[in-house]
Amino acid sequence: MKQYVIRRVGYCLLSLFLLSVTIFFFVRVTGDPATLLVEPGASEADIAAIHQQFGLDRPLLVQYGIFMASLAHGDLGQSFYYRTPVMELYLSRLPNSLYLAAVAMTLSLLIGIPSGILASVRVGGFWDSAGKTFTLLGLSLPSFWVGLVLILVFSVYLGWLPSSGAGTPLHLIMPAFALGWYFAAAHMRLTRSSMLEVLGSEYVKLARLKGLPQSLVIAKHAFKNALIPVLTLAGINLVIMVNVAVVVEVVFAWPGIGRLLYEGITFRDFPVVQGVVLMAGAMIVVVNLLIDILYAVIDPRIRLES
Amino acid sequence: MGSFVSSRGARKTGSNETDLTRRDLLAATALGLVAGAPAVACAAAPQGQLTYGIHVSLAPTWFDPAETLGLITPFMVLYALQDAMVKPMPDNLHAPCLAESWSASEDGLTYDFMIRKGTKFHNGEPITAEDVKFSYERYRGAAHELMKEQMAAIETPDPSHVRFKLKKPWPDFLSFYSSASGAGWIVPKKYVEKVGDDGFLKAPIGAGPYKFVSFTPGQELVLEAFEGYWRKVPSVKRLVMKVIPDEATRLAALTRGEIDIAYSIRGELAEDVQKTPGLSLKPVVLQAPNWLYFPEQWDPKSPWHDLRVRQAANLAIDREGMNKALFLGYCKTTNSIIPYTFTDYWQPPAAVYDPAQAKKLMAAAGFAGGFDAGLLYCDSSYANMAEVSLNNLAEIGIRAKLQPIERAGFFAGYSNKKYARGIIQGASAAFGNAATRLASFVVKDGAFVYGSYPDIDELYPQQADEMDPKKRADILTKMQQLVYDKAIYAPIWQLGFINAVGPRVGESSFGQIPGFAYTAPFEDLTIKA
Repeated sequence: MKQYVIRRVGYCLLSLFLLSVTIFFFVRVTGDPATLLVEPGASEADIAAIHQQFGLDRPLLVQYGIFMASLAHGDLGQSFYYRTPVMELYLSRLPNSLYLAAVAMTLSLLIGIPSGILASVRVGGFWDSAGKTFTLLGLSLPSFWVGLVLILVFSVYLGWLPSSGAGTPLHLIMPAFALGWYFAAAHMRLTRSSMLEVLGSEYVKLARLKGLPQSLVIAKHAFKNALIPVLTLAGINLVIMVNVAVVVEVVFAWPGIGRLLYEGITFRDFPVVQGVVLMAGAMIVVVNLLIDILYAVIDPRIRLES
Repeated sequence: MGSFVSSRGARKTGSNETDLTRRDLLAATALGLVAGAPAVACAAAPQGQLTYGIHVSLAPTWFDPAETLGLITPFMVLYALQDAMVKPMPDNLHAPCLAESWSASEDGLTYDFMIRKGTKFHNGEPITAEDVKFSYERYRGAAHELMKEQMAAIETPDPSHVRFKLKKPWPDFLSFYSSASGAGWIVPKKYVEKVGDDGFLKAPIGAGPYKFVSFTPGQELVLEAFEGYWRKVPSVKRLVMKVIPDEATRLAALTRGEIDIAYSIRGELAEDVQKTPGLSLKPVVLQAPNWLYFPEQWDPKSPWHDLRVRQAANLAIDREGMNKALFLGYCKTTNSIIPYTFTDYWQPPAAVYDPAQAKKLMAAAGFAGGFDAGLLYCDSSYANMAEVSLNNLAEIGIRAKLQPIERAGFFAGYSNKKYARGIIQGASAAFGNAATRLASFVVKDGAFVYGSYPDIDELYPQQADEMDPKKRADILTKMQQLVYDKAIYAPIWQLGFINAVGPRVGESSFGQIPGFAYTAPFEDLTIKA
């Protein structure tokens, strides 16, 4: 077990190293940040001064070496745009993103799981059709459009909710719904298919033959087993919600990490983009590591095969 | 009112200034004192709050004038938090602010500034000559190397007197000091030295009409009226600048009354503002001309080498039609690549839309059937403009294909001379004056110059060495006339920047400072009773 964990941690570190190389060089392909910090027509001397200020005049490998050395000390660098340590920026936005993601995830599970169960036990019926429609809309409607429609209806026409920003629970409702709908649809689809698979299994048939009531068969025997893949997906989705809710955060002016990433890309703020992507990568790697270890604990065959 | 005065005879550097006699100077100084001091003493206390919906993320570097990188955007905040010795104000691009008066020696090597009495920072400390010297020397933004290279010494004979000694005469000193850089914006030396640069960005102290309360990155900046401001006590107590990046969301917030002032509302959304009761549009014309540039004109084999072809292209552009279709008519059509607000701007004849005459010129040049012009390169943000230009050019037979390029990539390619064949749709909102704009876009070796004309090139060093403002203006006028005569460019317009305000706003201050996109002076803002 110990060797298995060490090996998995090694893979994680290798993944993060490869991610750091990829993102470091990839952002630099996008162009020169100095040209976005001055007006067109600025002198070459002004642009050169910005390069020098940000260390962009050094060879790429030297820049990467400095980046990695800082990273080893937990320093993600200094934002070109905000002139603030990236870690400080990230941590200041993280609570907002966690808050939004937690509420959106709760909404998506509260909507997605019951509707998925309902659709699976009434295949071809009204609830199944309604669920499919809900899923189709959730997965296909662009979240910026959903956000704008919500603002128009609930903010402008009805005047019930604030149009944008953060600060009160009311500010959270529309962005959480706009973000949660897409994931609710995904969770609904997975719950439905997973439930259908479990409901067709031998042990569920046996439970029915024993004369157990339908509600007990679904709740105790089918749902518990069908839930495992849904929760695994939800864990990964939560990381995605925290880090890349870019569109929803921009539309609702929600000050989260997604918007920080958007700003980083917009201003070619290399340290911000690198920092946010690496932190997101680290989150995913850690979640996957925990899942792998849990699987290995539950099923010894996994670590033996590895 | 003129502002550039000398004890050894009045001089001026540009068309925005007038010659003053000693009597005028005394009267002006007295007026300044009368206008400044009693306003502070008698004005009512500031009241209420105005909330802004800002279109870009506010950066802390905008709180510190030393960081001004040649973008106009930071001045959105600087005009509230900080103040300058001399800065653009309504009716005067070189208005005396923290400097009550100044003078230049006859040889153009020495500039003496007198600090306005009673001016102070938000922490109550008086503004001194040491602060002025410190701010200049600390400045590290756009053109800082140029400004330091030109300076021999900065002396502080007494706390209210600063003397700038130049290495050689520099006619553009005042332009750079007052508007083309942040070196003339004054920060408190003692405070900056105490808290350091990072500390200053976290809790800036300035001398502007509003003082810093709080800043939440990506969210909002809160400011409060500084009742000790020298010009007047601000009428509005509190300003909240909320970052709302999405345009439709900004408009929704304005419609709901969550914000009072929304920056940058374009196109169809601007039309919605016009239809919504209580809301009104506040368009301003930026110091940002757009143009078409013909980089092949120096190639004898190219159709663009023929002056008549370039003149035809100029006549083919339907500037007014484009303006109405794309910007509700709020751009200012122009026939120059230099903003009309710049010092030493020459007013050319108005641009004419005459496709019939354009076709005649094309025929006379031997291109009655037109020609393939290759690609029209443009910043993708303004591809809609370029599409209209393409259609206009096609009507007289000049056929080109659109090549929109992401903004930064486009300007990098433009300055690296990658678009030597075809047509370029360019623009610039850089600070400066007629001379600096010509240097970048017309004169040999300019950052965006693909070729040049010797008669223009030889005039450039003449104006740079000319210390007589009148003679210098004449040379710059001649250069601009040559640019027009040779049809080097097809200028289109100065861009309109459309903003909107809600029903609570009395005086919004939009458009008071020519060419400035945002609300300023902030102390003039009012809320309706």
